[in-house]
Amino acid sequence: MELWGDHSDVESDSEWVRKVSANGVSMKTTEVEAKLDQGNIQEAEASLREGLSLNFEEARSLLGKLEYQRGNVEGALRVFEGIDLQAAIQRLQPSLAEKPSSRRGRFRTESVHAVSQHAASLVLEAIYLKAKSLQKLGRVSEAAHECKSVLDAVEKIFYQGILDVQVDNKLQEIVTQAVELLPDLWKQAGFYHEAIAAYRRALLSQWNLDNDCCARIQKGYAVLLLYGGVEAGPPSLAVQIDGSYVPKNNLEEAILLLMILMRKFILGKTQWDPSVMDHLTFALSVCSQTPVLAKQLEEIMPGVYHRVDRWNSLALCYSGAGQNKAALNLLRKSLHKHERPDDIIALLLAAKICSEDSHLAAEGVGYARRAINLAQGIDEHLKGVGLRTLGLCLGKQTKVSSSDFERSHLQSEALTSLEGAIPLEPNNTDLIFELGVQYAEHRNLTAALRCAKQFIDETGGSILKGWRFLALVLSAQQRFSEAEVVTDAALDETAKWDQGPLLRLKAKLKFSQSLHMDAIETYRYLLALVQAQRKSFGPPRIQAVDDKVNEFEIWHGLAKLYSSLSHWKDAEICLGKARELKQYSVEALHTEVDKNASVHSVMDRQLDGEGFFHGGVIFEGRGQFQEAFAAYNNALLLEPCHVPCKILISALLSKRGLKALPVARSLLSDALRIDPTNRMAWYYLGMVHKDDGRKADAADCFQAASMLEESDPIESFDSIL
Amino acid sequence: MFDHSEPTTPSSTSTPTSEHAPSISLDSLSKTKSAVESLSSILSSFPSNLSFSISSSNLNPAFSLLHDPQVASQVSSLLREPNSGAGDNNLCRWLYDTFQSGDPNLQLVVLRFLPIIVGIYLSRVALRKPLAGFEAILLALYAHETTSRAGQPITMNVPNLSLPSVYHEAKAPINNSTELNLAVISPSLEPHGTVRSTRRARIVGVALELYHSKIYHMPVGSKIDFCDFCVVWAGQDNNDDDRDLNKESESNGRKEGRIQLPWELLQPVLRILGHCLMGNTKNKELFDAAWAACNSLYARSMHDINPKALLATGSLLKLGKKAMEPSEDLDPTEIRKSNVLVI
Repeated sequence: MELWGDHSDVESDSEWVRKVSANGVSMKTTEVEAKLDQGNIQEAEASLREGLSLNFEEARSLLGKLEYQRGNVEGALRVFEGIDLQAAIQRLQPSLAEKPSSRRGRFRTESVHAVSQHAASLVLEAIYLKAKSLQKLGRVSEAAHECKSVLDAVEKIFYQGILDVQVDNKLQEIVTQAVELLPDLWKQAGFYHEAIAAYRRALLSQWNLDNDCCARIQKGYAVLLLYGGVEAGPPSLAVQIDGSYVPKNNLEEAILLLMILMRKFILGKTQWDPSVMDHLTFALSVCSQTPVLAKQLEEIMPGVYHRVDRWNSLALCYSGAGQNKAALNLLRKSLHKHERPDDIIALLLAAKICSEDSHLAAEGVGYARRAINLAQGIDEHLKGVGLRTLGLCLGKQTKVSSSDFERSHLQSEALTSLEGAIPLEPNNTDLIFELGVQYAEHRNLTAALRCAKQFIDETGGSILKGWRFLALVLSAQQRFSEAEVVTDAALDETAKWDQGPLLRLKAKLKFSQSLHMDAIETYRYLLALVQAQRKSFGPPRIQAVDDKVNEFEIWHGLAKLYSSLSHWKDAEICLGKARELKQYSVEALHTEVDKNASVHSVMDRQLDGEGFFHGGVIFEGRGQFQEAFAAYNNALLLEPCHVPCKILISALLSKRGLKALPVARSLLSDALRIDPTNRMAWYYLGMVHKDDGRKADAADCFQAASMLEESDPIESFDSIL
Repeated sequence: MFDHSEPTTPSSTSTPTSEHAPSISLDSLSKTKSAVESLSSILSSFPSNLSFSISSSNLNPAFSLLHDPQVASQVSSLLREPNSGAGDNNLCRWLYDTFQSGDPNLQLVVLRFLPIIVGIYLSRVALRKPLAGFEAILLALYAHETTSRAGQPITMNVPNLSLPSVYHEAKAPINNSTELNLAVISPSLEPHGTVRSTRRARIVGVALELYHSKIYHMPVGSKIDFCDFCVVWAGQDNNDDDRDLNKESESNGRKEGRIQLPWELLQPVLRILGHCLMGNTKNKELFDAAWAACNSLYARSMHDINPKALLATGSLLKLGKKAMEPSEDLDPTEIRKSNVLVI
């Protein structure tokens, strides 16, 4: 039997004279159409039956199709409604159901098959077109029911699923279209659960769909899962295969489908569809899986995205997962002068990443300046962001500046930038906070206090670091009891597990007010909290990284407290505890093989150094100067930038007479280079100058020390940025 | 095409058994009746058809309440009054009581107003206004979610194509190193009796997670409210013309509404927004509101230099833009046009 008409014919035939053809005969439809236009379905049917020797159903189906193609969907529907399609399906089934058991000859089976397929496609096409007509009339849920009956019938007729060789092209085409149309109809009708079932039926049964159709269905389903707002639940147990991945929820299922679509594209099985990547980007970034997204991006072959776009997207992915080093490397490439040096978002991101590391800050200053210059026209609104990142980079750069002059220059430039950003970024609370910290570092405590208060007001006290900053500023102003009030208020606003840093602050505040017993009490409470936390969340992981207090710090804090009370025994016990923990944690850390290994080893050394340092304090307190000296030395070896240690060694050295004075002096200068506002360093440097007979220098140092005395916070300001 | 200006009938919802009217229990009916009665005493004019409907053949009165435009507009304007969030506010009490009634259909009515409650609440926190009424409602939602999740985190296994799945085949993994990557979508929940300010974003975020899980039932108006507040929260006008206007209003006082958007708040916001923008692009009004919200949040992400938010909002913008373009694709479900019809 002939399939579709010759399509080249269609193109060339400008008059668009429709023809119908069957049983080797073909006729023009002008006459039939005229009858239809008069509403004479029966007469139209009769002339078709006559002209083409068709039976009733065939003639009706053909008429319906004719009406449908003429765009008269209402007419088509009337014609289709005149056929009892369900009865026709009923008639199809038994004859085919017998087929597998028949032992007739091969030739005969095939011919029966062919005839039945013809009958089947006739009926199925009629139902399908009925569904399409209903859809076009806006009767979507009725359409869905009709469309569903096409698939139900196919499943009954071909109960083993459709295999490649089993069906002819026409039947396959109808089946494919119905499979694709059904979920869409349910979706349009708002029946999302039925749509989900239809999508799964389409994807999990054998329909012999072509790649493009399957890809469209998979994408449509992923979109429904992602945005439909209806939870699909896991697929039924029947389709689950042992050892295979079964998605449990919408996000998993959608991401799986989108990944499969990406894979198909990469293998060249389907056309590239950028929206697949956009959906995947949304899904993965919303669940913070940007490294997985990065992997997907990396797998796309070159040429699909411009390389700079790809680098920039990758940089966002890595930076979104905190892998800033990788992100910065990509941004350096994309911002190279031969690539796209004027991408303002890339510049800002690069500047922001650099602002978090004092050794990159200078590089960041360059990016920020470029961004500010580019913030014109539609990007003008980003000028404030540029100034803000510039201020942050400059502020960070001061940490590594080699001279006092450079430092103060950078500091005031940082302040100018941040202040300049304020009017451009109204109501940006983060900016107010950063400006406050910059003021504080600059020891402009009044301005810092104003910022801290404003930050707490405008965030409604919702950000923990705001409270800590306010308490630190107050402590720098030596307003310890007020700082304690703030800390207590903050504790009230904080859930138990987040209270660590506040309790540590409180203990130090008590200590500063010489309320030693209270301080010990607070440390005890903190210790209990941290230990409880460790028990409920497993062994300590990299705690220093995420704003949590670690147990060593507490023991060291207690050791410091006891040594200041000259309770050497207790201080030693605390140090011992810290050392025990060290053992434990080193083991714990070594089992954790991951990218943070370097962080661990740094932490190791710091903690060791701190232990030696406190040990030294105890030795010194007991008058064992030689041992103290050795302990301090060890501490410095492990942690070359330990400022308090440098100061105490110098103090010890300066007591040893004139010969040791130059060493003491250089150690103190070193300490001041690291921490220029350390008043103890200034004080001892003054002493060294005095002992060496340089009265004027000594006086300057003492003056610096006395000025600074009033402005030391109990924890350094940059600990909270 | 079928236009969803109003949501579909309850027969299409997830739990047909509980939604299908005949199975609504007497208990639920009486709860709804008393909720409607007490609401009618709060609102100035209560739609007569609603109070009537309780006794009449209306089979799901809570559903009518959820979708009644008059009730929605009156409740919304009451919620926007200056002191609406106070502890002694009648409406807040009604919303709280109605949610605590435990009737799922009535809870949907409360959730319908969540965007306005959250929107007004978060924007007012900095203004030191009484908010105990709003907080009681939010805590009730938080507690509900905590109980139904038993405090557990919501996690997912990030798919890995090297393992076969129901939708694709793969060679058996060479070794066991192809473990699934576990992602926490929403961390575990601890009970909260009060809104501690540092937990505020989380409590609101969890309430929004609850809203998102029921968003299919929400009327379009509620979603539009949500999108409008996103623009306020972002506090970002990407438009140059607007900027000049802002400068004027800034001189009178700071522009209200911009809030901190930590991830615990932003994540559920983005998921809801995804639904509003892409869930049904046929609804023009909702699509436009969501489009504006996406633009604002994208601008905000640029100002915060927030990579994850840039990726999420940026991809939504691309998808939204594509949805606005007239589709040139041929409809693959259309039969081929031919002038020779064959059977």
